[in-house]
Amino acid sequence: MILNRRQKYLQIALNSDLSEAREIITQLPFSERILIEAGTPLIKIYGKRAISEIKSVAAPGTYIVSDTKCADLALRDVRMAAEVGAQAVTCLGVAPVETIDRFIEECQKNGVDSMIDMMNVDDPVSVLKELKNPPDIVVLHRGVDETEFSKEKQIPFYQINQIKNNFDVFVSVAGGDTIDEVQRAILNGADIIVVWKAFYQSTDETAKLAEEFLKEIR
Amino acid sequence: MLDRKQKYLQIAFNRTLEEIAAMINSLPLSNRIIIEAGYPLIKTYGIESIRKIRQWWSERVLGYSIESPSMEFKGLSDFLIKSLFKKSTSESIKKEIAFSPYIIADLKCMDRAFAEVEAAASAGASAATCLGLAPLETIDEFIKRCEELGIDSILDMINIEYPFEVLSNLIKPPTIVMLHRGVDEEENRGKEIPYQEIERIKSVYEDVLIAVAGGETINEVITGAFNDADIIVVWRLFNENPEKIVVITNEFLKEIK
Repeated sequence: MILNRRQKYLQIALNSDLSEAREIITQLPFSERILIEAGTPLIKIYGKRAISEIKSVAAPGTYIVSDTKCADLALRDVRMAAEVGAQAVTCLGVAPVETIDRFIEECQKNGVDSMIDMMNVDDPVSVLKELKNPPDIVVLHRGVDETEFSKEKQIPFYQINQIKNNFDVFVSVAGGDTIDEVQRAILNGADIIVVWKAFYQSTDETAKLAEEFLKEIR
Repeated sequence: MLDRKQKYLQIAFNRTLEEIAAMINSLPLSNRIIIEAGYPLIKTYGIESIRKIRQWWSERVLGYSIESPSMEFKGLSDFLIKSLFKKSTSESIKKEIAFSPYIIADLKCMDRAFAEVEAAASAGASAATCLGLAPLETIDEFIKRCEELGIDSILDMINIEYPFEVLSNLIKPPTIVMLHRGVDEEENRGKEIPYQEIERIKSVYEDVLIAVAGGETINEVITGAFNDADIIVVWRLFNENPEKIVVITNEFLKEIK
């Protein structure tokens, strides 16, 4: 894995458009603990250009996540993201097991980190047990639509330790955007916190917000 | 938008944009052909790929000549270039058989349904796909938004053993249900397209059309049509043999009646 196992990280997902993304990136404080994600909407709208443009604006050496959400054709997805300079690629936990296995293997071959996004997976541990090799990073994820339409749905923080007790992997938490949820995720042992709402549009507060999140993520 | 009494051949394109332009421009003119902007294509080029594919297929179907090819076509094989320039049959004949081009955006939506459907529709898609494995909230929102924007909703049942159960949990069924064996799954010979689900779904959801994806041989295509699938989705043969696309398309169309 490219990431430092002793470190905790803030992953900022960029989801609106490329000019907004550029604005936000230039305002972010420099920190090795900030990962930048080319969100699925950006990739679907701009294609792989979303990743290469983000990379060209970000500080050299910035860790870029391509939220590819692979569901099939794993080889093609991984190679494309690696080619344009991503350090990590995502695959859906609900994808066929053959796809996930190929995805993880292909990530290893290309020297990028594999992230398995557990959105809409009830029991991530059972998915992981089916795999030939575990991924580098497991993402516990409550979707945007789920959050909006089913307010009662919680991020299952207890699964963080469940996963870590069984596998030597990083656990990332996505879908909780408030400071309160970030604190709970960290308290429960998360290694990466993914946020997007606070960074959907660039404002005067962008730098300050990033600092505040970084402070909570220790 | 699709005729329920008709059976369709859906061709998914995944090569480079310039190659796809040539392939589309050599397709036989049939109102039973549906064109798909594949998921890898969208992730490579963005929604621009949907717009371009729509433009090329419309030009082919409606008989407008293709604009002079730009620099980007350099480096293509002779065949592809020739087919680009090839003047097709006279415009008057084409106008008579003109039909409305049908373009599918294979978004495989998993979240943010509202925005994704909007993006696809704005690029000119006639239909878009959502994963059956997406959260229920996403699928319901996806189908609703498709309806509002006047495009067809397709629910992709890849990696779902009992598609029927997913449908029964929805507020409203989608326009099209796609039974799908993934490309990566193909190596696992034990996995089959659940043809038996076609009748089961149709017996309850009378208005739903069924698409079948993941069978690529002519035999599998015949099996799909025989089992009452309305749309047969293919990609491998077409993308691997662009020079044979006319022969293959005609052969497949003949089997899908």
